[in-house]
Amino acid sequence: MNERLLCILAGAAVLTGPSLSAAEPAKSIAVPKFPKEAQLVERVLVPVPSEVFAVLDKLGKPNWPEVLRPQKGMAAPSGGKEQISLLLGVVIAEGFVAVEAENAEEVKNIGNSVRSLAKAIGVEKAVSRRANSIVEFAEKRRWADVRRELDLALTDVRQAMIELNSESLAQLVSLGGWLRGTEALATVVTKNFSKDGAELLHQPVLADHFQVRLEAMPEASRKGPLISKIHSALQSIRPLMGAGENAVISEKDAREIGRICADVVAAVNSKAK
Amino acid sequence: MKPGVFLKRTLIVALSALTFLSGPGTARGTIDDALSFALEAAQPAVKEGFTVREEYWGGDLPSAQPKPIAHQLFKGNEYWFWMGTDCKGAKISVHIYDSAGKLAEDEFWQKGQKAAARIKPKRTGTYYLLVEVEKSPDERTVWSLAYGFR
Repeated sequence: MNERLLCILAGAAVLTGPSLSAAEPAKSIAVPKFPKEAQLVERVLVPVPSEVFAVLDKLGKPNWPEVLRPQKGMAAPSGGKEQISLLLGVVIAEGFVAVEAENAEEVKNIGNSVRSLAKAIGVEKAVSRRANSIVEFAEKRRWADVRRELDLALTDVRQAMIELNSESLAQLVSLGGWLRGTEALATVVTKNFSKDGAELLHQPVLADHFQVRLEAMPEASRKGPLISKIHSALQSIRPLMGAGENAVISEKDAREIGRICADVVAAVNSKAK
Repeated sequence: MKPGVFLKRTLIVALSALTFLSGPGTARGTIDDALSFALEAAQPAVKEGFTVREEYWGGDLPSAQPKPIAHQLFKGNEYWFWMGTDCKGAKISVHIYDSAGKLAEDEFWQKGQKAAARIKPKRTGTYYLLVEVEKSPDERTVWSLAYGFR
């Protein structure tokens, strides 16, 4: 038996179904049974907010001005780099809500806030152009373009942070965006509850991912009160998001997810003591 | 080299070492090169209104050793996943499975150094993208996987 055949047979041990040929993929796989060398790619690509808002667009016309949390002027950097990174993510997510609410003034505020917060953590150069575009497109009420620039601002900030060896801070930007996005989503879902809408909150892989990322942070950051609070919040959210394929999220659970997220977003927004 | 998510600019630095270290029996090329094949495969979908994510996965794999990637998908969106490699003579594939491990894609295709799969998820939740180098002249083959949604 040649080596190639042995490899195929080794793969077949974890792939069940009638065929392994290119034309006919296996009908099912058993991920937990994959051999050690073929374990899951451990990094998770967090969806950009546009992916979630694209679905919400199709669900109907929520009352976005009600969901929007207007800023009082430009967001000021507060606390350490961890809090500023989280706040940057929260502000960018708020930008998506402001776009849905078609609130040009708020979007312009957010564009300027993104610039100010990015400057505080040393990545202003990376997002300056995006921030300008956000403001410019908001003035022209070109909402689809604003959305695209917000997505790209998030990506650029993360990329710039990774270049500065701040991978953990880059994760916090994503986490901040996810927390505010999830809070907004829970608000929309519970205003006019439906099982289909609530299903959008079924995001266990992301809740797990962020928990793992927080646990991997340097001890000094991990043990800070804000990060500890968010870690506890993620632990509380995780079971509410459902586990199995047929998980159903109740109205009560959706409200609770929204409440927990709102609580940590408020903590991120608070002035550091 | 550990598979994972890579960002374009960091890739160039991180993977230049790989290029220099390449030799018989090792992975050749870079994830950036592989990505260019994946993005080429994406072009028709882009014309149909799909937004391609800037971030992507990449790594290297031996032949016939599929690897799953867990990913969040939302019901209501439609997704394409495009895989590429710059290894001539390699045959690659990508397929989409739901959280229970059942084949869930609506369509797939495979053309030498490119492969793709499309899905309109029936449920919101975790899906597994199964990437595989089915055959290759190299011991390990560099691959990249991008995705788009609408």
